[in-house]
Amino acid sequence: MLLAPSPAARAGRRKQHVSMSNPVIRTEKITRTYSMGETIVAALREADLTVHAGEFIALMGPSGSGKSTLLNVIGLLDRATSGEYWLEGKPVASLRRDELSDLRGRRIGFIFQNFNLLPRLSAWENVALPLAYRNGQFGPQAQLNQARAVLSRVNLDHRLEHHPTELSGGERQRLAIARALVTEPAVILADEPTGNLDSNTGAEIMHLLKELNQEGSTIVMVTHDMNVARYASRTYTIRDGLLTEGDRHVTH
Amino acid sequence: MSLTDLLRTALRSVSANKLRAALTMLGVVIGVASVIAMLALGNGARAAVDATFQSLGANQIQIGQRFEMQDGEFQPMGEKLTFEEGLDIAATIALVERVEMSVAKTLKARYGQNSIEINAIGTTADAFEGIVSGGEIQPVGWTGGDALTAEDFLADGRFFSTDEVFASAPVCILGYQTALDLFSGDNPIGETIWIDRKRCTVVGVATKLESTDIQERYQSDPNEALLMPISTMIQLLYEEDPSVYMVAHVTDANRIDEAKEQITAYLREKHQIEQDAEGNYQDDFDMTTRNDILGQQQEAAQTFSLLLAAMATVSLVVGGIGIMNVMLVSVTERTREIGVRLAVGAKQRDIVSQFLLEAVFISVGGGLAGIVIGILTIPFAAALNQGVALLLPSSIPLAFGVAVLVGIMFGLYPALRASQLDPIEALRYE
Repeated sequence: MLLAPSPAARAGRRKQHVSMSNPVIRTEKITRTYSMGETIVAALREADLTVHAGEFIALMGPSGSGKSTLLNVIGLLDRATSGEYWLEGKPVASLRRDELSDLRGRRIGFIFQNFNLLPRLSAWENVALPLAYRNGQFGPQAQLNQARAVLSRVNLDHRLEHHPTELSGGERQRLAIARALVTEPAVILADEPTGNLDSNTGAEIMHLLKELNQEGSTIVMVTHDMNVARYASRTYTIRDGLLTEGDRHVTH
Repeated sequence: MSLTDLLRTALRSVSANKLRAALTMLGVVIGVASVIAMLALGNGARAAVDATFQSLGANQIQIGQRFEMQDGEFQPMGEKLTFEEGLDIAATIALVERVEMSVAKTLKARYGQNSIEINAIGTTADAFEGIVSGGEIQPVGWTGGDALTAEDFLADGRFFSTDEVFASAPVCILGYQTALDLFSGDNPIGETIWIDRKRCTVVGVATKLESTDIQERYQSDPNEALLMPISTMIQLLYEEDPSVYMVAHVTDANRIDEAKEQITAYLREKHQIEQDAEGNYQDDFDMTTRNDILGQQQEAAQTFSLLLAAMATVSLVVGGIGIMNVMLVSVTERTREIGVRLAVGAKQRDIVSQFLLEAVFISVGGGLAGIVIGILTIPFAAALNQGVALLLPSSIPLAFGVAVLVGIMFGLYPALRASQLDPIEALRYE
């Protein structure tokens, strides 16, 4: 259905062309190793990744290939063992733990396969959670207003006071998307966003992500599903920790 | 995270596990209740001592023969205290203004056909003043107001004089009930009664009296007494001289210890009490001042207070460990939640505050319940401690502070552990 790029997507590409000089994400030879007892395992080997504003990137690869490791590193949840990483032109390797938290809260939005919503919080409170960690910058009323605005963007404004357990799978993922959007982040990182959804709901979520991308959001998505990867404007493939651009030879 | 957000988060987690929180609070409840009860006992002891101050003047020294446990019975030690010694102390020790003395014995009194058992008390003339000013007994129906005088205690006649005490005059004053029993309503003044076959002239009748302390009223009835000069009683009614009970009045309350030393020196010389090999004196008399009673009262309260302090400490530590345990479980259960919070921007101090506040909520909940229960147990604590326990108002904020402190102390470790979780591992936790 998206064989021909829509006008908005083309507009997105033009925009990304303009910002070529200052990528949202740039990594240079990022390596992440884990020591498992005696042996050292490299989950990621010298990965070079550049993401420009307005792009929709798919990271493909089979499970265990290192794609989640890369997503965690660029999401500042994990640190590279070696290599350089600039987020919006700013080197992040030397940042302290709390500085990373702060940067995550302001500039990165996460969407997880298993939604990771807090069951005791209502829909709007889940969405407002990143705002609550902004040093009191947002009072309760401001949090509610912001949450309501993004919830209406994902068509959940009728579910403000519902709890995650009272929502369908698709609604939960839309709620998680709203939470990722609420801080107007530099990049949205989605880890198998349709992995826990049936194909119809998955397609609905992918449409939403595509729309958001066309409205200007930069998205990096991890998936092993070709059908899902098709929504992206550019694809990287990762295999045994090695990152290559393109998806021509992915077999699964 | 702002304080409002933190409070809301903590309150919500605690109320999500109400039963668990309530059970966890138990240790703190008992600990805080013990603190309240303990301080009430100390406070009560102080109040009781204040009350004791009224009956034993600050310038008075009680002197009596020492009794010690021998063969399972209390036996008098050494030599008796005599009437003459009392007179000597008053006359030779400048610091001593006067010495009230008394002896008491149960005797048979007879008038005409009526014969009854009476509680005969031999006293000095000024002992009556002592009774009046002592405030331990009062005329029945007296409701306060004007200060009581000796006349208020007499229904008829007069009290005996100091001259009569020195002359061993055979005169007596009857208690209200004694007069009624012996004379069946007739006027006893001027009549002669027989006490153990000794003649005695009635010069006065006491008014109906009662103890000012309601609890004492059933123990000895002042209305069944008979008063006579101590010298008369010793001469006529004892086969061998009794030991005299004395109250020495000191001219200057600040020099009471000095007076005590002088009396001690006098009595040791008189009773020929020598230093033993270790330099100690085996005194055969006891002296008590207000300060001694204060010490005894505090000692009595202290034993029980120490018990409560131990209980409070143990309960608070056990309660604190309970809180720590529950918080560690809670941190483990909510590992994923912590991961999510870290992912959306929570800093370490946000996570620490969240879990610390939760621990404090639990301990403060226990503290508030403990304060209420502690106040409710004060009557029971009093029952175990001779009716002496009184809520110390400042113990409420103190107990509250202790509860907060327990929450912080035992909540800190789980909270720090939560804040040090690795975001990825926390998010992956199943």
